[in-house]
Amino acid sequence: MSLLEIKDLTKSFFGAHALRGASFNAEQGCITGLIGPNGAGKTTLFNVVSGVMRADGGTVLFDGRNITNLRPDEITRAGLMRTFQIARGFPRLTVLENLMLYAPGNPGETLVGAIWRGSDARASEAAIREEALRVAKRLDLTRVIDNYASDLSGGQKKLLEIGRAIMAKPKMILLDEPAAGVNPSLTRIIAGHIRELAQEGTSFLIIEHDMMLVRELCDPVIVMAEGRDFVAGSFAEVTADARVQEAYLGKRRWS
Amino acid sequence: MDSYLIAMVTLAAIYAMMAISLNLSWGLAGMVNLGLAGFISIGAYASGLLTTVLGWPVPLAILAAMIIGLVSGVALTYVTLRLRDDYLAIVTLGFAEVIRLAIVNELWLTHGSDGISGIPGIVAREYGYGFELGTLALALAAVALCYWLADRVRTSPYGRNLRAIRDDPEGTAVAGKNVTLIKVKTFGLSTAIAALAGAFYAHYTSFISPEIFQPLLTMYVFLALTMGGTGNNRGAMLGAFLLIFVLEASRFIAPSLPQFSAVQHAAIREMLVAVLFILTLLYRPQGISPETRHR
Amino acid sequence: MIETILQLAANGIMSGAVLAVAAIGFTMMFAVLRFPNFSLAGHMAGGAYAGWIANTMFGLPLPLALLCGFLVAGGIGVASDFIVLRPLRRAAPITLAIASVAISLFIENALRFGFGNDLRSFDLPLARDWVIGWLRLGPQQVQNAGLAIVAMLILFVIFTFTQTGRAMRATADNAGLAAVKGIDTEKITRLVSFLGMGLAGAAGVLLGADTSIEPLLGLKVILSVFAAAVLGGLGSIPGAVLGAFAIGIVEEASQIVVPATYKGAVGFVAILLVLSFRPSGFLGRRQT
Ligand SMILES: Nc1ncnc2c1ncn2[C@@H]1O[C@H](COP(=O)(O)OP(=O)(O)O)[C@@H](O)[C@H]1O
Ligand SMILES: [Mg+2]
Repeated sequence: MSLLEIKDLTKSFFGAHALRGASFNAEQGCITGLIGPNGAGKTTLFNVVSGVMRADGGTVLFDGRNITNLRPDEITRAGLMRTFQIARGFPRLTVLENLMLYAPGNPGETLVGAIWRGSDARASEAAIREEALRVAKRLDLTRVIDNYASDLSGGQKKLLEIGRAIMAKPKMILLDEPAAGVNPSLTRIIAGHIRELAQEGTSFLIIEHDMMLVRELCDPVIVMAEGRDFVAGSFAEVTADARVQEAYLGKRRWS
Repeated sequence: MDSYLIAMVTLAAIYAMMAISLNLSWGLAGMVNLGLAGFISIGAYASGLLTTVLGWPVPLAILAAMIIGLVSGVALTYVTLRLRDDYLAIVTLGFAEVIRLAIVNELWLTHGSDGISGIPGIVAREYGYGFELGTLALALAAVALCYWLADRVRTSPYGRNLRAIRDDPEGTAVAGKNVTLIKVKTFGLSTAIAALAGAFYAHYTSFISPEIFQPLLTMYVFLALTMGGTGNNRGAMLGAFLLIFVLEASRFIAPSLPQFSAVQHAAIREMLVAVLFILTLLYRPQGISPETRHR
Repeated sequence: MIETILQLAANGIMSGAVLAVAAIGFTMMFAVLRFPNFSLAGHMAGGAYAGWIANTMFGLPLPLALLCGFLVAGGIGVASDFIVLRPLRRAAPITLAIASVAISLFIENALRFGFGNDLRSFDLPLARDWVIGWLRLGPQQVQNAGLAIVAMLILFVIFTFTQTGRAMRATADNAGLAAVKGIDTEKITRLVSFLGMGLAGAAGVLLGADTSIEPLLGLKVILSVFAAAVLGGLGSIPGAVLGAFAIGIVEEASQIVVPATYKGAVGFVAILLVLSFRPSGFLGRRQT
């Protein structure tokens, strides 16, 4: 059984089909790559899988459980976390708050817990703060820990996006273009973080433009075009595939 | 203490409750409530009717008013949950208008535009000065309680969730929070406090009528919160006192412009309120006591 | 019974035509400016008083008074946009909406200052009702509905056949794209404020000609106007027209089941029902 199983997923926007029966699996312990030309439906797939958009048809199983069309928070709590292509962050929350927000199961989060503040609520909030500081340190965000997210540089926002995902302690993270618009040295750093996290046991499904990064990190790689997947295999296998080359030939832009 | 001063501080305390209520929903969670006057009137009428018609003791009636305020707030958010902010603005505005229509038209219950008079005080009115001081003390205690509650909420993980929803509801859901539930609970708490303010007003002045709960009242509370500092409970209280100061100061318009009629004086005063609000939005949108960074 | 229903339907269509004029103004401003402009209420009243002055003091006939109402309200619209809303353009839509409430408060009280709270009537020839079969029609209402329809036709021509009208529609569809294509969006915004608030003023005159005017004239019907626009899908002009006729008819028909004093609640109920079952309205396109 695969960790994430996607079957016949369909989604259209006012008659335009963004997903036309995408079906593939992502395995436990793998960094699976998802590539395909612009407009292939990759981001839409993430939106549907993470519950941000409703699927028109098809099913999504995660960890053996049917999560199709659950609410985003239910899917996150099931252990499947996603990031956004355009790192959005919460502009009027500080970096520390952005991180702490993603911690699961905080007893101080209920209205009663907020007002009563029992010892368990205080203890867990303190533990979450420690954890957030650790994550910030790991991602080299300690210097900006008290800055508003809106004041971060583009690269720092990308790192924060990853940091927040880690805070939720998910089984799998869906990363949407983690290296887009990032300079080469930061791309190396981000790649390092992903590999480290994978070694620690987090599974990944990554949409990425940067083919060097995909080659370095991802195995297997799934190729999507026009709303469905059509080739899967190692990076070498899929890039050697004539159909893949054809899909990309017409479109100069790889993503 | 001088009776006039006591009256003004009591009134400011009641406005402070309203401003704290608005700060919970709009200031912290970004849920606009243009129907605040409707919820305030629900509290005032509930408590006023329960005491005058059914003879309930005042504290029990106030509690019931808060529960009715909570229930109506929860019901309204439940219907409007999936709506975008701009729709929420329209729906809450409409809600207040429907409440006002009901109060004007259901004569058997509310006496329509004649209003309800003879509402008992929280402290017996026979005590005179004792009533004034006692009500003031209770109003201040109620504000203190509301402030304590609202600030507990603001500085807790729950409040962090609220501020996250204000910035990006979808992102908050992805962070694993049940946004719907949080919104409903918060709006309910906020409307319960609005109803409390309304009930306090009814028992303090002894008379309520639909005239008092016009959309203008909502505007006053927005002005108070914006002047004070949206997102900051202390700012909400500060703004309420400032509002009373502005409204009282504008009383001097009448004697200084004797050539105009009473209607014209009232019109000048409301134009001033509108101008002050617009100037605040243009030049000091964060208010006098802005929201501070959470550490 | 059938007579009553037909009579109510006829009344509903006539009041719907007037509502439609205001609803078009509201929805077109929403399409371009992306926030609900609550100051429509104040502008309706402002236009109504301008028309009333033109009619009672200068003796102009209703169509010309209507034009005056349109021009004055449009002018106030441009001024309020320039002074208050333009500096707030980058603020959240809800901030603009709240600012627009303050604008309305200002206009209403300026009118109150100048004219008091008294009801005022237009100086119009009294005429007996027309009776067609068992249908009874007030000539004034018929004339109002006719004028409303003429105003809508003129607008239709502007939007369909002129360069500026097409630019406005392009901006409504996608402001960013329109700017890229070289459309001056700030100019379009001014124009839309003028037309939108002008239509509100024209609707104010028509409402006043039907009954009477007072500073809160706009506020009293604003919920019906919103309901019409929401029903048709915020931002859709044909939707607003359709929605206005629907609201007009339902408001009249509601009198069969609830007291007429609750007419104002009909719009609210309609809004709730539409938003619960079809949030994008009849003709709404996207719901983002
Ligand atoms: N919210 C939306 N509304 C309408 N169309 C959309 C929306 N999101 C995506 N699409 C369309 O769906 C198709 C797939 O887009 P997307 O999933 O973003 O592709 P990718 O991420 O692979 O580049 C595109 O044609 C895009 O225009
Ligand atoms: Mg994409």
